[in-house]
Amino acid sequence: MKRKSFLLFVAPSVVSMLLLIAMPLVGVVYLALHQSYVKTELVELTTEVPLFGGLKRQVTRVVPQPVLDEDGRAVTVWKFVGGDNIVNAAEIEGLDEILSGAREVTSLRSFIAELHREITNVDFWSALEFTLLYTFGTTPFVLLIGLALALGVNRASERLRGTMVFVSILPMIVTPVVSSLAIYWLFLDGAVIASLIEALGFGRFYFLADQLTIRTIIIAYGIWWAAPFAFIILYAGLQTVPRDPLEAAMIDGASAWQRLRYVIIPHLMPLIAVITVIHVMDAYRVFEPILVFGASVFANSVQYLTYYTLSYEDNANKAAAYSILTVVGVVLLLIPVLVHTYRDQQGKR
Amino acid sequence: MRLKYVVVAAVLAALPPPALAECKVDGSGEVNVLSNFFETLELLANTMKECERDGLVVDAKLTTEHRSETEKSFAAGSSPYDTAAVANSSITLLQARGQLRPLNDLVDKYRGTYDIEDQMLIRFGDDIMAIAFMVNAQHFYYRKDVFEEHGIAVPKTYDELLAAAKTLKEAGIEHPYGAAFGNSWELANEYVNLLLANGGQLFDPATSEPAFESPEAVEALEVMGELFQYMSPNSMSLDFGGVKRQLQQGDVVMAIQWGDQAPTMDNADESTVVGKIGYAPAPAMREGGPPSSTFWWDGYVIPKNLDGDPDVTFQVFMHALSAETVEKNNDTTLWIRSNYKPTRYTAAITETVMAGAPPYPMNPQSSLAHSSLGENISDFITGKESAAQSLADAAKAYRAAAREQGLLAN
Repeated sequence: MKRKSFLLFVAPSVVSMLLLIAMPLVGVVYLALHQSYVKTELVELTTEVPLFGGLKRQVTRVVPQPVLDEDGRAVTVWKFVGGDNIVNAAEIEGLDEILSGAREVTSLRSFIAELHREITNVDFWSALEFTLLYTFGTTPFVLLIGLALALGVNRASERLRGTMVFVSILPMIVTPVVSSLAIYWLFLDGAVIASLIEALGFGRFYFLADQLTIRTIIIAYGIWWAAPFAFIILYAGLQTVPRDPLEAAMIDGASAWQRLRYVIIPHLMPLIAVITVIHVMDAYRVFEPILVFGASVFANSVQYLTYYTLSYEDNANKAAAYSILTVVGVVLLLIPVLVHTYRDQQGKR
Repeated sequence: MRLKYVVVAAVLAALPPPALAECKVDGSGEVNVLSNFFETLELLANTMKECERDGLVVDAKLTTEHRSETEKSFAAGSSPYDTAAVANSSITLLQARGQLRPLNDLVDKYRGTYDIEDQMLIRFGDDIMAIAFMVNAQHFYYRKDVFEEHGIAVPKTYDELLAAAKTLKEAGIEHPYGAAFGNSWELANEYVNLLLANGGQLFDPATSEPAFESPEAVEALEVMGELFQYMSPNSMSLDFGGVKRQLQQGDVVMAIQWGDQAPTMDNADESTVVGKIGYAPAPAMREGGPPSSTFWWDGYVIPKNLDGDPDVTFQVFMHALSAETVEKNNDTTLWIRSNYKPTRYTAAITETVMAGAPPYPMNPQSSLAHSSLGENISDFITGKESAAQSLADAAKAYRAAAREQGLLAN
């Protein structure tokens, strides 16, 4: 193909990638490198607040007032802060204090336990801990359950298949906030599951009362939500498994397990890599169940911190720094998979 | 819930507008209103629309995303919205950024026309920045029948409340108390109530340094820890909606809840305790001290950068805030106007405020302190660390955030 026609062919995708992927990324980096606020000074002011029945109350307080320029407009400070936002967002200072702090070492186990307790007391690192737990906790099960579902549906009779595919992908169709809420409502006091357990005579059980159960529920939810995605891709992949090697394996006396292990799975490997890449990216950005369960003391995520900083601290610049940390985290996690895929491609040439 | 509002809104829109006093607005143009989405604001928006005539368009947008939309449009070169409904929490930032237009001239001009009462005026120094119309506060909800059965008097302090909780627990009610401890923001809101009522404060006004490591602050947090012993262990995941459900389902005997939710306790469609709930002011932290609650107001503001005419805009929303609106819709909310008649559902809000509940603090420092407390005090309540330690962590988070926002020197 001539260079000119090649360029013309790829131009639309290059332009849209620049506009939709590169520009927002550059924008986020630019935001994260700066800090902005309205310059204020403290002024003693008397505020009158309303009561009712003709009453009001005077409150005198020192409040920040905007510093105005000659035209009467508030002065906004916009300054370059370099990596400060990222360092603050990742709470490097807090981590540094913990690592350099003196402590009595009695045994390695207690030392590690103490270190873990202190580090996970720092918001960002506690959020990172659960984000990673969620990512690594869901990925293998998503693949396993997805594969099992795909094999099961593949064996089902033609008549049943359509229905089974539809039912299996239902969790993926429901909006995550809605399905998170549905799961959350299952586990409240007096809700279906808690009452069922009580009715069966196991006593009262509080699922949202401690870290272990909340984390387990959220991870189980993550698996339930993402497994259909693995299923649908692997199910498509199963349709392309060539007959010849399978029949040859049967003639050689391979058991069902051996056929799966040595013929089918190797054939599906590229798809499994793709599912892993996409699921890891998705899982690292876990947000909806954290928001819905509302117990960030037990389970927090990096993406939730971005939201919290943006909406409660009103600090878009620091929120941008959290976004960058998310992107960096995803890239770091994906490196092994990407390297593996790259080698695979090289080997095929 | 949302769907229900949509249906109600659709029905309201289909009905012919009630014949109210004629809207007399001088001038013409377009008035765009932005506000949150709840019943009172919807009523006011519909009343404003009565002013529409040839040459005057009134358009209202009601959205739960009102806060970020207000901030964005007031910061733009020219705001598409000529007025917005704000609360004392959200006016803070707009005021601190110098984006609000003082309303003194308009209030002077129209004081007689609309019978503007002094208590409706929100002032920052000499500047009138908002016209308020309703207030809300959290207060105490309790089961009258259960209290009577166990011979418990309505608690006036947290000591009495804890004693009542103990009595009820010993009588076999495992989790007598409910409060919104979930969702970082709501947890911190409960704490701010107790802290202020205990004589503490969020930050030192002279320096903006955090002030919530004092003995009063530790004591207030320890009370929350004690309360948690009488709450459902799931409470760290329950927000105000969850507490409302606990009350309606009879899961708890007493709770702290927003005042405007009181009528829902008697809504037989969703409540199993119709007629059994009593309302009282929030308990005090100290004998004779103020109730541990803050009060909130809602009001309209006009931005400096509006693209319409401030005079016309002012007349349009003042028409909606008239004494007649209050008279015809007395039970919708707790109106600020003096012709409002308290009802069984709002008396406890009135009493809470009259007993000295302070307004929720309006400044950027308080928002930052609130958000850093929300992320840290749960460590104490769930038993991970001491009260003093979790407050120290919150103070550290506050300092970092305040430095970034230029409120504290480096």
